[in-house]
Amino acid sequence: MALLQISEPGQSAAPHQHRHAAGIDLGTTNSLVATVRSGEAVCLPDDEGRCLLPSVVCYSADQCQVGYPAWAHQSSDPLNSISSVKRLMGRGLEDVSRLGEILPYEFVSSNDSPVPRIRTAGGDFSAVEVSSEILQVLAQRARDSLNGDLEGVVITVPAYFDDAQRQATRDAAKLAGLNLFRLLNEPTAAAVAYGLDQKADSLIAVYDLGGGTFDISILRLNRGVFEVLATGGDSSLGGDDMDHALGEWIIEHCGIVELDAGLNRQILLAARSAKEALTLSEAVEFSVDYRGQSWRTEIDRRQFDDLISGLVKKTLQACRRALRDAGLKPDQIDDVVMVGGSTRVPLVQSMVGEFFAREPMCELDPDQVVALGAAIQADILAGNKPDNEMLLLDVLPLSLGIETMGGLAEKIIDRNTAIPVARAQEFTTFKDGQTAMAVHVVQGERELVSDCRSLARFELRGFPPMVAGAARIRVTYQVDADGLLSVTAEETTSGVKADIVVKPSYGLTDGEIESMLRASMEHASEDMQMRMHKEQQVEARRVIEAIDAALTQDGALLLDESEMTQIQQQRDALAAAVESASTDELKKLIKAVEQASEAYVARRMNASVKQVLAGKQIDEVDV
Amino acid sequence: MQSPELSQNYFELFGLNPVFEIDPTELHARQQRLQATYHPDRHAASSDQQKRLSVQMASWINQAYETLQDPVKRARYLLEINGTSMPDDSATTADGAFLMEQIELREEVEACRHGENGLQRSEDIAERLDQRANDLAREFVDSFGAGKTDAAIEASRKMQFIQRIQQQLAELQFELEDF
Repeated sequence: MALLQISEPGQSAAPHQHRHAAGIDLGTTNSLVATVRSGEAVCLPDDEGRCLLPSVVCYSADQCQVGYPAWAHQSSDPLNSISSVKRLMGRGLEDVSRLGEILPYEFVSSNDSPVPRIRTAGGDFSAVEVSSEILQVLAQRARDSLNGDLEGVVITVPAYFDDAQRQATRDAAKLAGLNLFRLLNEPTAAAVAYGLDQKADSLIAVYDLGGGTFDISILRLNRGVFEVLATGGDSSLGGDDMDHALGEWIIEHCGIVELDAGLNRQILLAARSAKEALTLSEAVEFSVDYRGQSWRTEIDRRQFDDLISGLVKKTLQACRRALRDAGLKPDQIDDVVMVGGSTRVPLVQSMVGEFFAREPMCELDPDQVVALGAAIQADILAGNKPDNEMLLLDVLPLSLGIETMGGLAEKIIDRNTAIPVARAQEFTTFKDGQTAMAVHVVQGERELVSDCRSLARFELRGFPPMVAGAARIRVTYQVDADGLLSVTAEETTSGVKADIVVKPSYGLTDGEIESMLRASMEHASEDMQMRMHKEQQVEARRVIEAIDAALTQDGALLLDESEMTQIQQQRDALAAAVESASTDELKKLIKAVEQASEAYVARRMNASVKQVLAGKQIDEVDV
Repeated sequence: MQSPELSQNYFELFGLNPVFEIDPTELHARQQRLQATYHPDRHAASSDQQKRLSVQMASWINQAYETLQDPVKRARYLLEINGTSMPDDSATTADGAFLMEQIELREEVEACRHGENGLQRSEDIAERLDQRANDLAREFVDSFGAGKTDAAIEASRKMQFIQRIQQQLAELQFELEDF
């Protein structure tokens, strides 16, 4: 589509090669990759037919293993086998030390970077680097299976992921050399996997109970458009809590008084397998070795249900809140989609069914459903289905705010606002002669800045001194379709500006990413410069193609002669240089074409809006 | 905010007449129609400039939709595009009787928290509030149509008061329904 011009239905479907794309579920415990093959989404297995890749990376002095081999080292070499790295994405040392009780790793940080790194036998690695190893293995699996390179991928993230966590995921994709089409919320992906977009109209609840997290999303589907109305959940509630509840029951039941780490692990393992067995059996028998004796005991499903019903109620509480945010009652929901291994528990299925007064959907493997949905979306974004009307409209999961006087967080964009979104707010100075202002960007629902997540700090400097309250500082937050933020601040009476793309306080800098990329490229004996140059050439050709198509269509209509000449000149200069110019020169030339065509683009936009809405009426006649 | 097309106001963007009474279903349909064209997902494989434009455009559409679908924001926006800039949320009303009514309503809402049949009583209040909001909306339409700007501003402020109580009531009902 050239410069956002719309094309008539059917005409846009220029025949092109099928573009390879994949959907990746980058999970805490396991990760999966899926793709659309002959119109159907399938998870791709490894050489041994296993779809799941344990999200474990093991570093040694001379190699890095991912998945099952790394998983096998976990008990023998826990310090060098990194698991559950998803919990560390976009996190600072403070959060990490809070998690330190359960994670055995040694963390290091340097003065140059606030990003915590895990010390291993193979070197120090950030969560982004560890994730990127997992992504590379999955991407390679997809390339081998598809017999070709990937045009792009969709990676799923939990709906509650904040900006820092999303940025970190995007950085991991970049580091893995993947073109990221989109970060997609896991529950949305699940709804897509069930093909609910084929229905004309529906209100959908996606209930996602994993090992350690719970997510609820309320979606509205209308003629192929999925609209997230509200999301909610609890980032520390899941199947692991069921294991703990059952573990405590075992401890009490067997009269265990002295608990060491080994016994605790044994009990939790016993609890987990009992929980799994109880999805099919009414009762299960198991034993625990304690003080040289083997304690045998039996638990039936009713007892187990009593132990976990409080947990399930807690999830329903979150469901009610999400429904309220969406302005709906439980019985208005048409479809309930179940995601995550913990939804295999019968009590979960029955209580959820009762709450929504509807049988929940659990036909697809709850471990695979997210990856399958991501694959379907990736296929569409790659342009393989030009006639597909499906569109996913998302909301911001957590409010974005700014620190004001007294350590208070003032919300600039509320949670559950449709994204992309841009919003501006004006602030002023509080001291006479003030020439700089600090901007502190935070995310979260709480009143106090200290209770919110700090995303970034920057300063707007060098505006002229004025009396207190006279300066007009306009701070603009722009959130893109992935939920990622960029911030601009401008003193409007003087025009002094500061732009930043929010790099989360605990994020990697562009420089760090670049040097990591270089390192990995050297490793793969590929030339980084070469790749960047090729990317710029592709971009240049896209720009030329877009401008040509636009000018043919309505250049004469919307431009006067001198405007036309100017755009043509810049376009020709770029076209002449595509093969010969350096990367930086190409960047400059592309920029020049963009600048020359700015006003033209605006006019086209205006014209096309009318066309889109006019098309609407034709459609209505058809229907 | 930076919109790709500054000359367009929200009503023009949606191809609607700049009036208070709009059909919410039609508004929603048009919003989706526009997003179907401009949303960044439709331009995932395009040039960086295209992607940037689509983010701006989609943001603009979302902002327009959010403003127009909310009666209070819509009323204020109508005043704004007609050259009356509204002072922000700090706005108040000089109508003593109305303020008195507000205080009583708030007390009534709080009272539902205690005593019997709180939920039932809250439903009654909700109904009255809806009625009140409708009356005020009509007042706004009449004043605005007759060019009585001051009266229109006053009506829009009162609409905002009522809306806040409605939100407070909704929050309370949520707590009362709690199990």
